[in-house]
Amino acid sequence: MLSEDGMENRHGPPGVNSRSLSAAHSAADLEVLREIEHVYFSPPSEFDAGRYVLEHAPSPLTCQAVEQMFTKLKRQQQVVSGKALHLISQQRDNCDREFAEIQNIREQLAKTLETCRQAREHLRNSSNHLTISTFVILANVRKRQIIRSVLKSLELLRSLRSVERDVAELLNKKEYFEAIELILKSRKAASNHKEYTCIADLATRLQDTLDMTEEKLDSVLASICYNFDEKTFRKLRKAYTLLGKTQAAMEQLHMHYSSAVNETSIEAVKPYVGEISIEMKFQEMCQAVQPTKAPICLLNLCENLFLIMRSYYLLVNWHAKYDEEETVPSTSNVFEIERNVSREYIRQKLKAGLIRIWHDVQAKVSTFLKSSGLEEYPFEKFIQMLGILRKLTQVAEVFCGDKSDILQDFIKTQSVSYIKNYHRGRMEELKLFLENEGWEQCPVKSTFNLLNLQEFKQFKKYINPSKSDTSMVKTLSDGTSSVHSQDDSVYIAKYFNQKTNHTPFEMFRNENITNDDIFGLEPELEPSDESDDEPEELKREFVDEVDRHEYSTTNNNEKVLESPSKVKESVIVTNTTLSVLRNCGQYLQICRYLPQISLEVVMLMNQLFDYYFYTVHLFFTSDLEVASSTLYTTKLSGSLKRISNSIDSNAGDSDTKAFLCPDLPQHLDMASEDSLHGLTERIIAVESVIFLAKQYELLQPYLESIVASHQKLILEHFKDNTLAVVVDLRMPVYMCSASKAVDARSALIAMSQVRWDVKNVAVEHSPYIDMITRKIQVFALRLENIAAKVTLNIEVLNSIWSMVSKFIVHLLVEGFSNATKCSNGGRGLMQLDYRQLFVKLEKISGLKPVPYQDYVDRYVKAYYLPRKGLEEFIRERTEYSNKHLLALITCACENKRDRQALTAIIEGKDVQP
Amino acid sequence: MSESYDYLFKFLVIGSAGTGKSSLLNTFIGNKFKEDRCHTIGVEFGSKIVTIGGKSTKLQIWDTAGQERFRSVTRSYYRGAAGALLVYDITSRDSFNALANWLRDARTLASPNIVILLVGNKKDLEEPREVTFTEASQFAQENELMFLETSAKTGENVAEAFLNCSKTILAKIVTGELDPERIGSGIQYGANTSKRLSASKKPARTPSECACRV
Repeated sequence: MLSEDGMENRHGPPGVNSRSLSAAHSAADLEVLREIEHVYFSPPSEFDAGRYVLEHAPSPLTCQAVEQMFTKLKRQQQVVSGKALHLISQQRDNCDREFAEIQNIREQLAKTLETCRQAREHLRNSSNHLTISTFVILANVRKRQIIRSVLKSLELLRSLRSVERDVAELLNKKEYFEAIELILKSRKAASNHKEYTCIADLATRLQDTLDMTEEKLDSVLASICYNFDEKTFRKLRKAYTLLGKTQAAMEQLHMHYSSAVNETSIEAVKPYVGEISIEMKFQEMCQAVQPTKAPICLLNLCENLFLIMRSYYLLVNWHAKYDEEETVPSTSNVFEIERNVSREYIRQKLKAGLIRIWHDVQAKVSTFLKSSGLEEYPFEKFIQMLGILRKLTQVAEVFCGDKSDILQDFIKTQSVSYIKNYHRGRMEELKLFLENEGWEQCPVKSTFNLLNLQEFKQFKKYINPSKSDTSMVKTLSDGTSSVHSQDDSVYIAKYFNQKTNHTPFEMFRNENITNDDIFGLEPELEPSDESDDEPEELKREFVDEVDRHEYSTTNNNEKVLESPSKVKESVIVTNTTLSVLRNCGQYLQICRYLPQISLEVVMLMNQLFDYYFYTVHLFFTSDLEVASSTLYTTKLSGSLKRISNSIDSNAGDSDTKAFLCPDLPQHLDMASEDSLHGLTERIIAVESVIFLAKQYELLQPYLESIVASHQKLILEHFKDNTLAVVVDLRMPVYMCSASKAVDARSALIAMSQVRWDVKNVAVEHSPYIDMITRKIQVFALRLENIAAKVTLNIEVLNSIWSMVSKFIVHLLVEGFSNATKCSNGGRGLMQLDYRQLFVKLEKISGLKPVPYQDYVDRYVKAYYLPRKGLEEFIRERTEYSNKHLLALITCACENKRDRQALTAIIEGKDVQP
Repeated sequence: MSESYDYLFKFLVIGSAGTGKSSLLNTFIGNKFKEDRCHTIGVEFGSKIVTIGGKSTKLQIWDTAGQERFRSVTRSYYRGAAGALLVYDITSRDSFNALANWLRDARTLASPNIVILLVGNKKDLEEPREVTFTEASQFAQENELMFLETSAKTGENVAEAFLNCSKTILAKIVTGELDPERIGSGIQYGANTSKRLSASKKPARTPSECACRV
């Protein structure tokens, strides 16, 4: 355009004010411009205008055409130059303006440059400053970090140093697990910081602490033995698990239990030993225990040992529970298997431990018992000891199911030897009682029996004086015993509870404890059996008020007695009888507590009876002046013989097993005729034996129920051969007095004065009969006096009178046999005499018929027998002596040959055995 | 189990019912005191060996029932007693009043030489005392008795009572006032002493004098 403008401007007049012309020119100019070929406007580098014009020169090249073309081109050039000039002038202001603008921008740029330079300068400065402080900061940060780590280490060190204290504190708080954990952590921390020199030192100290802690754990473990505490044990176990010593701990614990049994035993016995030296062994200590303290010592021992047993029992139980909780049957894991093996091992160990501990305990108790001189204990103490031991065996049964055979055997042998020793004491006492016995009737109720005695209080339900229902007794006792053992175990098991502080032995500390409590027998007894008993009977106040009255009136010699013949039941007991019965009660109590030795005890009880029986016989037949076998039944002499074998009549060395024979009492008046030669005492003695036998019989069903069935025969034998025969004792004893009722010598003399060879039968009996009758009447009177003092029953009276009769018939036969000559009239007189006598005797004695009459009757009437009958009589009647028979022959046989023959037979009898 | 002793003394404990005779004996031989003891039936027995003046002496003690109804039974034990404790209850005037009767029985039935010690028992019950020490002392003096107040419950003076009585007996033997050889003296020589009571030999059993054979 510029160029086009330029061209146009060049078209116009250069330097003329073109504007004035423009209007005229412009149109033409424009035309011109328009006619300009376009190609001229190409850049000169590409277009060569000259060339172009030449090429495009008009053909035919004529000057005119050239001139025309020249002019045209000239014109075009003028227009274009004009135009260009015009355009340039036109654009000059713009250009200047623009130029100024450019200049302005240039100045601004320079200014900016300067500012930049300055800014950079500033920036450089500031940049330098900033870098240095950063480094300082970084360095500080690093320092801080280092210090921090040092501080941490120091803190660790400090904490390591305080571990000891902390552990102690934790242990005090029973946080064993935490304590161990702390130590282990500390140890680990210590090993992580080996670079510190002080750590090495610390590490050893930590080890020490660990050791100490383990020791502490061990001591806590030991204390478990005395009192198992679930919480503590759980903690301990956790701690040991952490230490990886569960199994070792269990071993250790068992050792602790063993030593606990040992130590407890020693500690329990110690307070009861007078002087203790340290080297003393347990056994020696036991021997040194004062006998009076022994029961309480045993109690202490058992109680303390029980605590250990309970602790162990709880331990085992805890394990059982714990195992159930924890045993997960995942056998996949090797580690788990190992753990299970260990657990199984522990379980076995615990199971075996029960028995082992019980054996230890049993051994201790046995040692104590063996060396404690059990035999010398008083009865109550012995029973108490038995009770304690029984309880211990019950405990053992709950504890480990052991039947404690060792202890049971021991109890049995000790009991047997105790009871024998005890029995020896009772026998000695009995001897003393018998030797001092005044044979006075003890005033008791007429209904008195052994059940009235306090000692038999517990047996009331087993012994029925009216009925003897053996089967009922049996089921009763059998039933109760089995029930008890079950109850006992439940009862004992209660004491194995952790929560209780009580022991089954506590009851023995109670002063008021009864033996039944100890043995857990019949707890229901007290309320149930009071239906028919006056309480005063239990207090031994069984003396009847009527008796008492009677007693006091007889003292005043007012005979307001019932006729003796009407008295059916009289109770004649002596002080010694009661004492024997009371001993029986005690023996039976022993049986209750020691059923296994029942037979032994019952036999000893029977021995008491034997001794009493034997003594009465000994004392009251010592003056028996009629030697006779017919007074003794076979059983009676058999029984007395048996007893005498067990009694040492030599009074020699008292070490032998036999019991000493009692010395005959000196204080009894058995010579005075007024008292019928001690008949009162004799009656009381014999009747008291009979009463005693009755009481023993009353006991029989009960006794049979407490011994084993094969042993019953022994009891039955005793009953049949001893108890049943004591009634026969009346004969020889009463004969002692009866035989003195009539003075035999004077009677015989009187009889010898009678003439038996009279021709006629007399009408009047002989005078000796009156004499004898008078004597008998005196006897009767004196007997009445006795009856005033002693309640005689009809049996006693009959028995006495029988003996009188027996004596008289023998006296008569003896007197009759003294007659060398006798006529029929004489024989008649004899009959008349004795008939008369028996009539009197019957009246006086009340016996109907008078016994033993046959003896004299037969003898007298044999006189009338023919020879053959006489021979038979001689051969068969062994109750008459040869003297009697010879006298009979002499009187009865008139034929001399017959007499000689019969005499030969009689004399031949002696030769024959 | 043969016990050895030099002497054996027979002792009695007598006095009215409920005065604590059995308790005294039991306390003496070492049993526990029972608060609620039953009345004694007939007689009971206890023994103890004590050492007096270097001699071991066995005391054979007969504890008699105090109740009147047993009087005839207990009397038969009086014979030949060497010593006796005559017991009354200091809280019971009646038991004290009965002493004269008991004393008469003892002197006539046992032996005039019997050594008796008067015992005022239940000393522990000071409150309801009915018999003063002085009047009992006076009674003892008048009747030539020794006197002690005891308590079977606390054991006070119990052993002393038995021992004092035994000492007096022993002293009387030494002075010859008592002769152990005399029958019914209530004294026997023990196994330790060589002399034996000759009278203790059993009389030989007399053979039948009666001509008749029963």
